Amino acid sequence: MTDSATTDPSTTDPDASTADRESIDPAEAALGARGLTKRFGELTAVGGVDLAVPEGELRAIIGPNGAGKTTFFNVLTNALEPTAGSVYLHGEEITETPQHARPHDGLVRSFQSNQLFTEQTVHENVRIVAQTAEQGAFSLDLLGRGRDVATERAREVLELTELEDLADETAKNLSHGDQRRLGIAMALATDPSVLLLDEPTSGLGAAETETTADLIEDIQSELGLTLLLIEHDMNIVLSRSDRITVLHRGEVLTTGTPAEIRDDDEVQEAYLGERDEEGSP
Amino acid sequence: MSDASEPAAAGRDRLRNALSRYRVPIGILLLVVLLRPVIAHDALLGSSYIASAMLIWMLFAAAFNLLYGYSGLLSFGHAIFLGTGIYGVAIGIRHFDLPYFVAAPIGVIVAGLIAYGIARLIVGYGEIYFAMLTLAFAEAIHFVVNADPFGLTGGADGLRSDTTPAWIESFRGRSVVQLGGGEFELYYFVALVFVIAMLALWQIVRSPFGRTLVAIRDNEELARAMGISTARYQTWAFTLSGVFSAVAGTLLVIRNSGASLENFGMMTGAEVILMSIFGGISYFFGPIAGAFSWFFAREYLTNLEMVAIPLVGTVDVGPILGYWRFFFGFLFVVVIVLSPQRGLWGFVRSIADRIRDRLAEVISE
Repeated sequence: MTDSATTDPSTTDPDASTADRESIDPAEAALGARGLTKRFGELTAVGGVDLAVPEGELRAIIGPNGAGKTTFFNVLTNALEPTAGSVYLHGEEITETPQHARPHDGLVRSFQSNQLFTEQTVHENVRIVAQTAEQGAFSLDLLGRGRDVATERAREVLELTELEDLADETAKNLSHGDQRRLGIAMALATDPSVLLLDEPTSGLGAAETETTADLIEDIQSELGLTLLLIEHDMNIVLSRSDRITVLHRGEVLTTGTPAEIRDDDEVQEAYLGERDEEGSP
Repeated sequence: MSDASEPAAAGRDRLRNALSRYRVPIGILLLVVLLRPVIAHDALLGSSYIASAMLIWMLFAAAFNLLYGYSGLLSFGHAIFLGTGIYGVAIGIRHFDLPYFVAAPIGVIVAGLIAYGIARLIVGYGEIYFAMLTLAFAEAIHFVVNADPFGLTGGADGLRSDTTPAWIESFRGRSVVQLGGGEFELYYFVALVFVIAMLALWQIVRSPFGRTLVAIRDNEELARAMGISTARYQTWAFTLSGVFSAVAGTLLVIRNSGASLENFGMMTGAEVILMSIFGGISYFFGPIAGAFSWFFAREYLTNLEMVAIPLVGTVDVGPILGYWRFFFGFLFVVVIVLSPQRGLWGFVRSIADRIRDRLAEVISE
């Protein structure tokens, strides 16, 4: 890749802009972004992305490696401060809200790598998040007993994610698949309205991938969540998502229904072409 | 199992649960009761002279470990807070004629305010910068105390006289407290404050606040992503750690009958780190074991003069053991290599576990 992801967003053809492909205004969406940009020096990892995910939608984000998908999640959650642009949550602008405050507003993400409180039990991992959801971003609660706070909520979440049998295991001893599931459970313990999942099936076998996809769908319908999902498994993306946004070199290539994306020539070229370059058949 | 044995078994379980749930308070009480007679045994130190100093440094190390072990933040500057407790009492009594029970809380509160102020400035820049900035603050405050501002601190001489409350009588190295018509050894006063402070620390580490600190220590990025304001938790961990260090200081000033500049020195800040790591920062009792070993090794090795070696005869080891820090340093390396993170206490626990398992096997056979 010689011309890589350094393309200036201002030079792109306005007709190719996909903002008008979104059915609603970002500022009115459950989760919206307008002109969201992240530059690292010369490199533009995310370049002027517009996004508007309506309430209750399962939106997949796809794109070849290095398309800026995870960086996009990082700027949406303010793990990385955006260079430019705005983020909206249920019609409120939250661009300036610090990272730790966003889960309390209802926006939370899971991680691509297994990020856990590795030395704690599965139950404690979820409980500590539920406790934070209950007590706020900071609480000087010195008199209570940590184990007793949010225990019930943690048990509910473990049941929902079918981890209750592993509640007393130390997180670092779980299998890769169970660790992925625990990551989702922890995000759910914040009681989110918008959930960002970063490749929840990466590293999983075919059967586990299907189970996880089922779990995600169940959670969404049961809790009425808005979901943004980064996913490589095209079967899952095409069969489960309501709409798909394709990122390419930090910019939105197109947004559409699974059928539209499947038949889009540009996507074929950018996404599948890239895969050919990587040596896939 | 027959019906008759069921209530007995249930009773045993209840007792075991209670013992396990309250093992920390039980351990703290056993410690203060047993420490003096054990070290005074002829085979060990033969004197309980250093028992109260041991308790005070155990408290200081446990307070330090609230920050290091439970929050994952290393401070090179904890002498600041021990020193503020010490000088708070010494200055209050000597210059302002304050009663000890007024001067001590003032010292502790001032230490808390200093800790909070420093933490607000230095939290959030990453662990290594945090450690370096605590070092910088420790040096700066050492410089200020040495400069003897307004004639308060006595500069390099410290505050040696008129710093002991009137209710403490010292003669021939023994200190006796005369309070409320009663008379008892200073050790028991120290032990009382020690028990209260240690129970408070225990409550902090098991509270929702303490559990959150541990989560932040394990994975700070995840904690923030899950909605935890890591900076505020770390600020308060530093503050509380400073407060309890100052409580240790308010005891050390009466134990040592005065304040000396070295209380604020680099070596004080370094010693508490070494003690905690040696004892094992992963455990509540780790730093306590570390402080005990440090004092015990120093007393024992510096008191030892003649050693009988078979076939060689008695050897005068006094001059060599004067370098006890060298031997302790060697021991430190051995423990860290054998059991990093878990330290001496982890080592002791794993041996105890092995013995228990073996006993259980023997009994079941």
